[in-house]
Amino acid sequence: MPFVVTDNCTGCRFTDCVEVCPVSCFHGDDDRVYIDPVACIDCAACVPLCPVQAIYEDLDLPEEKEHWTEVNAEKAPTLPKIIKKQPLLEGAEERMEALGFSRDN
Amino acid sequence: MTNVTTTVRGACPQDCPDTCAFIYTVEDGKLKDVKGDPDHPVTRGRLCTKLNDFAAHHNNPDRILYPMKRTGPKGSGEFKRISWDEALEEIKSRWTGIIDEFGPQAIMPVHYLGHQGVLNGLTAGDAFFNRLGSTIAEKTFCGVGREIGTHLSIGGSTGVDPESLVHSKYIILWAVNTLSSGSHHWPFIEEARRNGAKVVVIDPLKSRTAVQSDWHIPIRPGTDAALALGMMNIIISEGLTDAEYIAQHTEGFEELAERAAEYPVDKVSSITGIPEADILTLAREYAGNNPSVIRQGVAIERHRNGGQTARAISCLPALIGAWRHVGGGNLGLTLAPFALDWDAMCRPDWIKEGARVINLHNLGSALNELSDPPLKSVMIYNINPVVQSPNTEMIKKGLSREDLFVVSSELFLTDTAAYADIILPATMQAEQTDVMFSWGHFYWTYNHKAVEAPGEAIPNTELFRRLAELMGFDEPEWKRTDEEMIRDYLDWDSPFMEGITLEDLQKNGYAKVAAGDKDTRTPHAEGNFDTPSGKCEFKSNLAADGTFVPPPFRAGYNGQQLAGYIDPLPGYTPPFESPESAPELSEKFPLNIISPKSHGFLNSQYANEFKQLRREGEPIVIMNPADAKQRGIEDGDAVSVFNDRGSFTGAAKVTDDTMKGVIASFHGHWQKKTGGNGSHKGSVNAVSSERMANLGSAPTYSDILVEVTKISAV
Ligand code: SF4
Ligand code: SF4
Ligand code: SF4
Repeated sequence: MPFVVTDNCTGCRFTDCVEVCPVSCFHGDDDRVYIDPVACIDCAACVPLCPVQAIYEDLDLPEEKEHWTEVNAEKAPTLPKIIKKQPLLEGAEERMEALGFSRDN
Repeated sequence: MTNVTTTVRGACPQDCPDTCAFIYTVEDGKLKDVKGDPDHPVTRGRLCTKLNDFAAHHNNPDRILYPMKRTGPKGSGEFKRISWDEALEEIKSRWTGIIDEFGPQAIMPVHYLGHQGVLNGLTAGDAFFNRLGSTIAEKTFCGVGREIGTHLSIGGSTGVDPESLVHSKYIILWAVNTLSSGSHHWPFIEEARRNGAKVVVIDPLKSRTAVQSDWHIPIRPGTDAALALGMMNIIISEGLTDAEYIAQHTEGFEELAERAAEYPVDKVSSITGIPEADILTLAREYAGNNPSVIRQGVAIERHRNGGQTARAISCLPALIGAWRHVGGGNLGLTLAPFALDWDAMCRPDWIKEGARVINLHNLGSALNELSDPPLKSVMIYNINPVVQSPNTEMIKKGLSREDLFVVSSELFLTDTAAYADIILPATMQAEQTDVMFSWGHFYWTYNHKAVEAPGEAIPNTELFRRLAELMGFDEPEWKRTDEEMIRDYLDWDSPFMEGITLEDLQKNGYAKVAAGDKDTRTPHAEGNFDTPSGKCEFKSNLAADGTFVPPPFRAGYNGQQLAGYIDPLPGYTPPFESPESAPELSEKFPLNIISPKSHGFLNSQYANEFKQLRREGEPIVIMNPADAKQRGIEDGDAVSVFNDRGSFTGAAKVTDDTMKGVIASFHGHWQKKTGGNGSHKGSVNAVSSERMANLGSAPTYSDILVEVTKISAV
């Protein structure tokens, strides 16, 4: 029952999440990251570190985000692992604010 | 009202190798959150899926908060609230009556490691029951067989520091599902892998860890010693040994070589089910890639030959000189450098001559059959035998006896507590003080009491203070505070405690034992084994004394040991329940079941929590497509698993995660609260047996034959 990265990640990719992951579950492309559901051990350590609350346990996904389970499962194995924090994507801070989050919450 | 939020340092109480350092967040006196301490070098701020909502477990509305007395039939779970005074009065009058009529040995504690604290864990009630003169409960549920086997070869070794694994080049995870039952080793293993290490998993089940490894070698349950002996034979006959290390730091090489020669690769292949080429590759790679390390899991011991299996495996590192290197050797229990004064904790000096010892694997038989005197009362704490001990049907039958007075100290109304006459409310970790050792890393961890106990719950320390007063024990020991007990129980003068004070431990939350630097330590590069010869003993001198269980697992007592014969050389004996040893039984029950730890529960703890139950789902029975087809079973079908001891039900999961002839079902599901639709019957230990392995009285949970049949939906 893995954890899943949803839409809020797209265009942000703060990657605050990746270093805490004990099994290097995170895989990424140019805009965002995905969790490999086979590797994820459900520890939930990544969840509070994401500043835009993009990560959910699959069983807690709101209905409109449920398709992300499949997207993560499909995408993750095809992309390289991200195990170190990456440089911020351009516009990420603005996007975080637009989504209604800030570094302090 | 203003919100007052504080953070308090704590430690995971569970019998898990990782012993995570906690940070409790307390808001207005209520436990809000439990997180990992990010500064802890091993546990690094991350808890596992079992404990990551530990605050909710504390605040679970099902907690037992007050003493209760049974009102319905035994096992029905019907109770009414009573006061502590009433509960204690009842215990006193029943126990006094039993002692007068049958003597104190008619009373026995039933307990284990449901809590692992130095104060509230394994030995919490030992001093009390020794003072009372009760029957002594020997508890060898987990790891004792492995440790005795290892001890015979390499003595009380500290072994490899898991933090040194980053230096390893070849890592064998043998009978351990690291990612489910000790996941904080994994980041070190991954780092080693990034440095080029290969990770091999030897396990009958394709576990999560096997999936993430470089190479999974499925093996027939209970045959690992044959594999180890076969590896030795290849290593010796192909000249892959470290001859100089063997000459200087080992004893009995010639005899070992002779024994290993009885295990040529074709024979090993037919015993273990592993292809010959794989056995050859494994032996050659293991010997050729120092520093190589073997992490032995507890499951290595769960069959007839359990102790000798660990013994055989623990000889391998010396054979190839792995101990010369940082990150090379054997990693089992890391308990050796935790300097505890077990005698102060257990008080074996209070045990009377000739005390009776009962191994708790035999609880079912003991409750039903023991005489002279029969068991008339058991006090159950830190354990849930109706789900977790072998042969649960016998245990339920025994606990149902009208004349048996059962006291239980518990957090929840477990399947076992349901049989109690009196239930006493116990505290959870944030509500008590304790200090934790670890059997998976080298850090002491301190647990501060963060919140007041709910209702009238008390820690085990206070429970036994009250019982001591009740029974009229007036020694000054019963008047100590928790902190005074910690001061008395830790051996502050031990060299392993160098630089550690209680004050620092309380302030920082954790402290590493002085067992050498992780990046340079090689505990046995120059031998220095804690064995009679000071060498790694391929032929064991200690074997002459016969089998034994270390006193901490039998209330400090060293009398009445089994003392059965030990083969001085590592050996292989087929499982009790196998075609070789029991041909008729294996015709009737052809499938070998193993019952590993689940991912979501810690044994049976947390199996009553919505989130963990939801993640874990209903009980499953993993079976190979060939076995399923033969029985007309399809994936998802409801099945019954049974033998002459009992049965349980689950949903078939048809995969090639096990080989033909082997099935697996995770343990821990409560009989009353199984997952899915909640209507499955029994739990996996209904089929397990009371038989014990050849060393350390280890259990034989993997040495069990069953049959499986499809049933109409449960
Ligand atoms: S921190 Fe959140 S937004 Fe950033 S990469 Fe991770 S999941 Fe995506
Ligand atoms: S839940 Fe844990 S294992 Fe899964 S992705 Fe997050 S950090 Fe990694
Ligand atoms: S059960 Fe083990 S891994 Fe989980 S929080 Fe406790 S010590 Fe850590």
